[in-house]
Amino acid sequence: MIDAQDLTLAYGSNVVLQDVSMQLGDGELLAIIGPNGAGKSTLLRALGGLHTPQHGHVMVNGKAVAQMSPQERARRLALIEVDTSPVTNVTVREAVAQGRLPHRPWWRWNELPEDEAIVDEALERAQLGDRAERMLDSLSSGERQRVWVALALAQHAPSLLFDEPTTHLDLGHAMHILSLLREVADAGTTVVIVLHDLNVAAAHADRIALVGKNTLLACDVPERVFQEELLTAAYGAPIIVRREEGMMLAFARPPLRPKGAP
Amino acid sequence: MMLALCAAIIVGASWGTIPFSPATIVSALFHPHAQNDATIVLWSLRLPRVAIAALVGAALAVAGLLMQDLLGNPLIDPYLTGTSAGAALAIAVAIAFGAPPGLYSAIALGASMATTLLVAALARSGTGLSVERMIVAGIALSSLFAGLTTLVILWSPSASVSLSILAWLGGSLAGHGWRDLGWATLYALCGFALALTTIPALNALRLGTRRAQALGVDLDRTRWIVVIATCLLTSAAVSVSGVIGFVGLMVPHIVRGAIGHDVRWTIAAALPVGATVLILADAFARSATPPTEIPLGILLSLLGVPAFLYLASRRPKTA
Repeated sequence: MIDAQDLTLAYGSNVVLQDVSMQLGDGELLAIIGPNGAGKSTLLRALGGLHTPQHGHVMVNGKAVAQMSPQERARRLALIEVDTSPVTNVTVREAVAQGRLPHRPWWRWNELPEDEAIVDEALERAQLGDRAERMLDSLSSGERQRVWVALALAQHAPSLLFDEPTTHLDLGHAMHILSLLREVADAGTTVVIVLHDLNVAAAHADRIALVGKNTLLACDVPERVFQEELLTAAYGAPIIVRREEGMMLAFARPPLRPKGAP
Repeated sequence: MMLALCAAIIVGASWGTIPFSPATIVSALFHPHAQNDATIVLWSLRLPRVAIAALVGAALAVAGLLMQDLLGNPLIDPYLTGTSAGAALAIAVAIAFGAPPGLYSAIALGASMATTLLVAALARSGTGLSVERMIVAGIALSSLFAGLTTLVILWSPSASVSLSILAWLGGSLAGHGWRDLGWATLYALCGFALALTTIPALNALRLGTRRAQALGVDLDRTRWIVVIATCLLTSAAVSVSGVIGFVGLMVPHIVRGAIGHDVRWTIAAALPVGATVLILADAFARSATPPTEIPLGILLSLLGVPAFLYLASRRPKTA
């Protein structure tokens, strides 16, 4: 369970978000959406304890994240950020096994007796069992995203935060990773993801947090967030909302062209 | 690797201006109180030199490995933080002003540690260290000190003083005995001990700094520990050997090529491999052109660069 109260997030004097409050329950999947530069990733980092709010606080299961040691924070929150730096000479198993690091005392270099089974289980849940010995840089983008989910699963943290899990993925791989995150949430983990695709967010999330204009504009079920005026105000472009076969769909209205124009 | 180190110790003790057979050396090793040439030469000249070479090689190899793993850059040299340049300037000034040679080790140790601390102070960012600033500060101070060292050589009172400074800069283990090992060993052991505490963090850093941070790695603390450990290790090496480059750059590559990238094993392997490389290089340096010695630092550059380029060209390209 994550409880964020009155957050003001800034880089120096540049305030990115203010007056942000939200509560997330166990087993809930929340998608954060908003225009570029609105502070989605900063909000995710703040929920994950890696960005210190200028004001306000984040509590995880009743304890302030700011009061936790880095190791304790990593035991409670698994955060996967966008990191484009190349990872070479690391096998899938080695990468996933790093998820056990927060559970080891600082002086212990080797895995604990129970770690091997936990890593195996995480690999299986992410359908990476047959790729465990492959090098990370030999995998496709979709497979690599699954590796980071497996790493987070191996962390055994009650909350999983994932920044842009579907970026650069084709539809099939994107659906695969979102289904996996849905399963993780259904198993009781609080899952927070940052997404650019509004329709994907509406299809998979229990609630949507819409950020824009330096604040949290809405945090509610997709039906209540998908309001044309609200989305238009957030994105600064005319947005049309439709309901098709039980799904919420939002898309930008293309500019009208005069008749006879090429 | 340990067998290679044992063989290197025998070679290092056998080779020299007066060569001895390995059997003679082994016999002298087990009879330290025998009164013959081999025993006296071994215990008073060769063994301390082999021990210093082992210490310097192991210290530089581990220091190079730590810095490369911390910065995620295989081209980083442990002298990056200005350790060697600071020590070189201090020694140049000390020689020019006629300081007794017995003080050189202490001066080099103090200067190299002071330089690293200055670089760390310039690279401070909040409670941590900015890696980019550290590289810039290290390179800038190294350039400044190198320029000042050249100035001291040019302005030195006599040619012999200039030659003494150049000989120290060339790196050598000549003229060192058991007494020189004391403080250097203590500092190197502290550096090794600190290095061991960073192994889990350095392994996590192989996934990138952001992922390591998310896994609970305290980046600020890890950076400080690595910088302090590297400072202790390189200062210990510089204080007894002068500037010996390339070991800290090359040995981590050899180790990773042989056993992979897991820091638990690379640190353990860097110790014997670094020691072996420097013992063999020193043995060659003092026996290749008798009665004179090739400066060890220069020899390592001459032999090491082609070997390194060969190894680099054989490395498989990653995707």
